[in-house]
Amino acid sequence: MNDKSKQPLVQRSHLPLILLGVVMTGYGLLTALVGSWFSSQAMRGLMTAGVYRARLMAFEQTAGLMAGLLFCALFVWCAVRASGIVRVAFAIGALASFAPVLTGRAERLLFTVLGLPTMSAGSVIAGAVTALVFALPMMILFILLACGRRVPRGGRWLSLASIFVVLGTAFFPIYVTVLAFLLKPGDPAVGRMMQVSSQVLKLRFILPGLSLLGLALISARLTRPQSSDAEAVVEGVLQ
Amino acid sequence: MKHFSRTQWNKVAGLLLIVMLLVSCGKPASKATPPPDVTAEDAFMGLPLAIPKRYDPSIEMQSVISVNATVKFLGEDDIHNNIWTRAYEQLLGIKLTYKWVVDGSMYGQKLGLSVNSGDVPDMFAVSPEQLHLFHEAGLLADLTDVYEAEASAKTRDVLTQDPISLKAATIDGRLWGIPLTDAAVASASLLWIRQDWMDKLGIEAPASMADVLEISRRFTEEDPDGNGAQDTIGLCVTKSLWGAIANLQGFFNGYHAYPGIWYERGGSLVYGSVQPEMRDALLALQKMYADGQLDREFGVKDINQVTETIAQGKCGMEFGVWWNPYHPLNQSQANNPHAFWTAFPIPSVDATPAKSQYYSAIGAFLVVRNGYEHPEALIRMINFWTDNILGTEDDNIRRTFLGDIENPDVVLYKYTPVVLWEPNAMIDGGKKLREALAKKDPSGLDLDTQWRYRIIQAYFEQGTLEAWVEVATNGPNGATTILEQVMRDRGQLNRFYGVPTATMAEKMPTLQPMEDEVITKIIMGEPIGSFDQFVENWYKLGGTEIVNEVNLWAERNH
Repeated sequence: MNDKSKQPLVQRSHLPLILLGVVMTGYGLLTALVGSWFSSQAMRGLMTAGVYRARLMAFEQTAGLMAGLLFCALFVWCAVRASGIVRVAFAIGALASFAPVLTGRAERLLFTVLGLPTMSAGSVIAGAVTALVFALPMMILFILLACGRRVPRGGRWLSLASIFVVLGTAFFPIYVTVLAFLLKPGDPAVGRMMQVSSQVLKLRFILPGLSLLGLALISARLTRPQSSDAEAVVEGVLQ
Repeated sequence: MKHFSRTQWNKVAGLLLIVMLLVSCGKPASKATPPPDVTAEDAFMGLPLAIPKRYDPSIEMQSVISVNATVKFLGEDDIHNNIWTRAYEQLLGIKLTYKWVVDGSMYGQKLGLSVNSGDVPDMFAVSPEQLHLFHEAGLLADLTDVYEAEASAKTRDVLTQDPISLKAATIDGRLWGIPLTDAAVASASLLWIRQDWMDKLGIEAPASMADVLEISRRFTEEDPDGNGAQDTIGLCVTKSLWGAIANLQGFFNGYHAYPGIWYERGGSLVYGSVQPEMRDALLALQKMYADGQLDREFGVKDINQVTETIAQGKCGMEFGVWWNPYHPLNQSQANNPHAFWTAFPIPSVDATPAKSQYYSAIGAFLVVRNGYEHPEALIRMINFWTDNILGTEDDNIRRTFLGDIENPDVVLYKYTPVVLWEPNAMIDGGKKLREALAKKDPSGLDLDTQWRYRIIQAYFEQGTLEAWVEVATNGPNGATTILEQVMRDRGQLNRFYGVPTATMAEKMPTLQPMEDEVITKIIMGEPIGSFDQFVENWYKLGGTEIVNEVNLWAERNH
């Protein structure tokens, strides 16, 4: 591949891509930390299961709505600043913004509003739908970036790796849940997978967010002479 | 925007294909597999088993067993040749054979016929009534000395956790059977309430029976399911009134009434159903029924129909035992993933804490034929069970003797009559589990408890709402924490655990339906004076004699 034909992912400024990565990572971190704190309190018996659920749901709905709106705005901003296949990628990626909005709302939407059968696995189905809504657009985004001839080489490799990161963090927890509750309840091996799964789940937004930040960093190198002071600061922090 | 070239599309398609292939790569679904073709020695080799003294040469032991049609076997195994018969023979030197095998529903009758015809097995299970009957007939071996000589520390521990269990098998100071133990406190009723409805209506945990009545009213009148119709009821009750699910004894306990059991009052045992505390509870239930807080047709609804009501999300409270979330309360998630129930201790009508009534869990005993040469063999078989199987952390032992995850329908312990459960296992396991949850460290838990830990973790850390069942039973503030209180000082044990007295056996079949009928009628609106009339009749129709006989029994056994 000829490096001369490579172009930055976004034109003029990388601020929208950096912000997108920061917001996605931040949302992932925040939900992981708050979720861990709530679950820790509940597992120690300091909070009843009812209070735990009510507080977690209130948090997820509020944080999810805000994150969803921010994701959408930033994806659109990125798409506007991009061109060609990269623009298509960000436009499709914008669909992932629905995922945080669905968190805490998916059960009601699927089973109350749409009236779908829960099959006694309502939260698993809702979780799978939410994961799919996030993972599918993100996967297509990364696939397109991995295939984009004008995407910097490092960015293509990172995108390729990110496809599997998105896949793993989205579907491994669902796979383990299905094993644990339907296919192999009581299996000690599945028990160990559940331990890993609860940690993997926390990475669902963090790792793709970091990937976007990495892409911004790689892309920004192509435009170093034009980069703004703000980007230089962010890049410095990232490095 | 530039067009995507054909080469680029090919690359995209290629990548997608790789991703899909990787996703679809996985272990194929496992099938139920027949047992490997191994010898018995192979099956037990390497297992860390504690083996009691082995008979050499082997001895013969004839027994009888009940096996229901639902019991499944692997491969060529059957009830006469399975992992347990092989283990007894290979490891203990006991050749166990069954004279006959019958469905559980026919066991008592078949045993009676068999014994009456002089065909007494060497070792067999009997009901409390049969224990006394066969003892009086001189058919049973005295197990006092062999128990003292052979019982392992674990066996003694299991058999003494429930203070009643060995007493129930003791006649005139001698031990005539080994009780098949289980957790007595498991029969105590708790108050189960739809927590999501409470949260929606802003209702706090009930502190008194007045709160329970208020919650019931609000669940009935304030549309907790949000469908715009007043189609919910406060309290589920089955037509049988008593039992493990949607019962009324929990409600009565809140008024310090204990229907159907015997408890101490003024130095003697009294029958709970005819005590004055029943009146207030009945009046409260009557008002609830009149206000539409009970199902208008509860008098004809069995457990299946009540389960249907719960599944439809139309009921907000029930009194039932600790395992109710496994069934039928789990059904409430059929239409609403957010539905979940929380257990509460039974609240009191006044300042005196209410007590949950419960019963001895001893329903059967293992006995040995008088004259059998090796009565100690039974104790060795029990030792094998308690020392190796109960609470084992060894996965291979569990797979070998209890069952395999690959074949969940095959429950291996159903092939042996020697099955005792640890009465305190549930409470102890719950304590350990909660400690592990608080520390977020499941190491040191046995396999069963570790699995429960994982399920509760899935609820709190992965948002798997279906795991609420485990949270509600064994989680922090779950049902087993309430059972601990019941065991400590908030339980009322049925103090009569003997075989029915002569008058009881004769009159109770008449008195019990009379009791159920009058309670149902009063709830449905008959004047409370009917209760006073019932009490008078109860004593007249044999109750007085029953009370005297029970108190005579108590004098001899307490």
